[in-house]
Amino acid sequence: MSENGFNKEQAREAGEIARLLSYVLILIASVALFLSAAAIPTSRFERLGAGAFPKIVFAGLALMAVVAIVDALRKIPAGAYGRFAVQTVAWAKRRSLVFICLAALALYIMAIPVLGFSIASFVFILAVELVLMPRSPKTLIIAVIAAAVFSFGLNWLFAEVFTVFLPRGVL
Amino acid sequence: MEDFLSGLTQIFTLATLVYMLAGSIAGIIAAAIPGFTVTMAIVLTLPLTFTMEPLQGIAVMLSVYVGGYTGGLISAALLGIPGTPSSVATTFDAFPMARKGEPGRALSLGVWASFFGTVISTVVLIVAAPPLALFAVKLGPWEYFSLIVFALTIVASLVGDSVIRGMLAGLIGLAISTVGPDPMMGRPRFDFGIEMLQAGLPFLVVLIGIFAISQLASEVENKSEVRSGNALVTGAIDFQTWKVMKEVLMRPVNLIRSSIVGVLIGALPGAGGSIANLVAYDQAKRASKDPDSFGKGNPDGVVASEAGNSATAGGGLIPLIGLGIPGSAVDAILMASLMVHGISVGPRLIMDHGDLVYGMFIAMAVASLLMLIVSVLSMRLFLRVATVPKWLIVPVVMVCCVVGSFALNNRVTDLYLLGFIGVAGYVLRALGYSLAPLVLGVILGPIAETNLRRALMTDGDPTLFVTRPISLLFLVAAVLSIAWAIRGHLKQRNKAKRSSDAAAS
Repeated sequence: MSENGFNKEQAREAGEIARLLSYVLILIASVALFLSAAAIPTSRFERLGAGAFPKIVFAGLALMAVVAIVDALRKIPAGAYGRFAVQTVAWAKRRSLVFICLAALALYIMAIPVLGFSIASFVFILAVELVLMPRSPKTLIIAVIAAAVFSFGLNWLFAEVFTVFLPRGVL
Repeated sequence: MEDFLSGLTQIFTLATLVYMLAGSIAGIIAAAIPGFTVTMAIVLTLPLTFTMEPLQGIAVMLSVYVGGYTGGLISAALLGIPGTPSSVATTFDAFPMARKGEPGRALSLGVWASFFGTVISTVVLIVAAPPLALFAVKLGPWEYFSLIVFALTIVASLVGDSVIRGMLAGLIGLAISTVGPDPMMGRPRFDFGIEMLQAGLPFLVVLIGIFAISQLASEVENKSEVRSGNALVTGAIDFQTWKVMKEVLMRPVNLIRSSIVGVLIGALPGAGGSIANLVAYDQAKRASKDPDSFGKGNPDGVVASEAGNSATAGGGLIPLIGLGIPGSAVDAILMASLMVHGISVGPRLIMDHGDLVYGMFIAMAVASLLMLIVSVLSMRLFLRVATVPKWLIVPVVMVCCVVGSFALNNRVTDLYLLGFIGVAGYVLRALGYSLAPLVLGVILGPIAETNLRRALMTDGDPTLFVTRPISLLFLVAAVLSIAWAIRGHLKQRNKAKRSSDAAAS
């Protein structure tokens, strides 16, 4: 978070607004789940049914979320909301590598049942390495070796040593 | 005594010792890599131990744990980057010492201090855990429920910069634990008709997603840093092993004080090595005759920090073995591994599985010895590890996470869950929620619920929670811990306000 050329104070305000949004989401979710927990029938053998503990948890969660919302509203200056969209886009740009990595992980997980563990892992490791690394002949060779060892090698290790069979894929 | 011998024979088999050696090496390597925490290393070790005997598996994980606390020292001393949060204070003095041309001495000091710290904490563990368990067996479900409430509040208030977000994270963890069949009657809850959720959220998958995936994602936040290679301190390194051992032993007061600080902090739920090293360092500085030399390469600083963080390993096991309550994320993982082997963790552990508990004590001692041998013999090699670049680590460890989540149940749907939880974990991390309370919430949730309902099944009177003295004590302590945290928080806020006002005027 040490890049130059962005306003730290505004970024912090945007962070507070993002947190406020998360509190609101938690509040909505906990109220909804509280209601759905209330619908769980109680058994006649006990005083507290299966829904009681979740109800306590979600009530606590909703209460904390309200406290957090009040706290956050106090901290955020009025002008900050207008700048929120711009700041969010700027934040996402600074963190673009994170999104690339997480997206790659999602694709990889979806590809495992189809391609099988070895091939999917090889492609995933190599692709993420290529995105992240400073490209030079030496790093390229290391990248390919690492990708091979941790895809085909890991598959072999688990199958032979731990007798855990990783997905083979349909191919 | 019989249990002790049984534990002893189980640990001293060739296979177990070899696995433990591998665990120590893996722990040291993992912690030496900046961005790869001890917790992550243990999470990833867990799936590998499924096929082992319970004690063997636990022994390997303890080796990784003990090794990991030492490994953080390497990058702290040589690069000035704490390899794990537990070695922050180590950088204060070990790095200047390494810069002054004594990198070998700095490393040796740290290794010996870690070794003695672990040994002292193991002794305390052996003395303290059994009586605590004897006391804990007398506790009823009321006391247990209140104890868990207390443990969660103290975790939420100790970790992270915001008490509110800490509490929210802990409650979210409890909420996650309510998905799936309820622990008393097995009635399905919150599955929303999705098959993936019917069995509940597997603890290990949540753990890997929350800790490892989100950590890895946050490692690549800074573009320019990832794309550059980092340089290493080079130069001749002379370890002077025996001379330094004497040097460490010549500071018995500092060593014992720092270890005791580590044990006490470790035994407190929620506070682990990352706090202990700073507190121990601070205490050593206050007690020193020459406080100004701290931060400039004072050997006392290195000893205090490393003995302090290593001693939390034994301290953290005290509530785990004595009460069945994990004190930190790492202890929660150890507990999960016992549960995977079908061993229920609680105060009866030491009576029902005495050999296992004594085996754990022995394993701690053996692990610290192995750590010492490995570090002294091969420190030079580990220096290279600290320079492994992030672009290599991130994808490879992500693949290891996927393998680990899959190996537990051989279910592809667990991988989808891993993806969701990883993203959610990163979002929470980016928003400044601390994740440790969340994980403890997940593991303590079912225990809290079972005890709450058992209490009310035994006797329908809810006032028993406040009329039974020990239960009341824990509840009062819970309220106090929150109040204390809020007070500290407000104080800090006022201070920050005052300083920013001063800067503005």
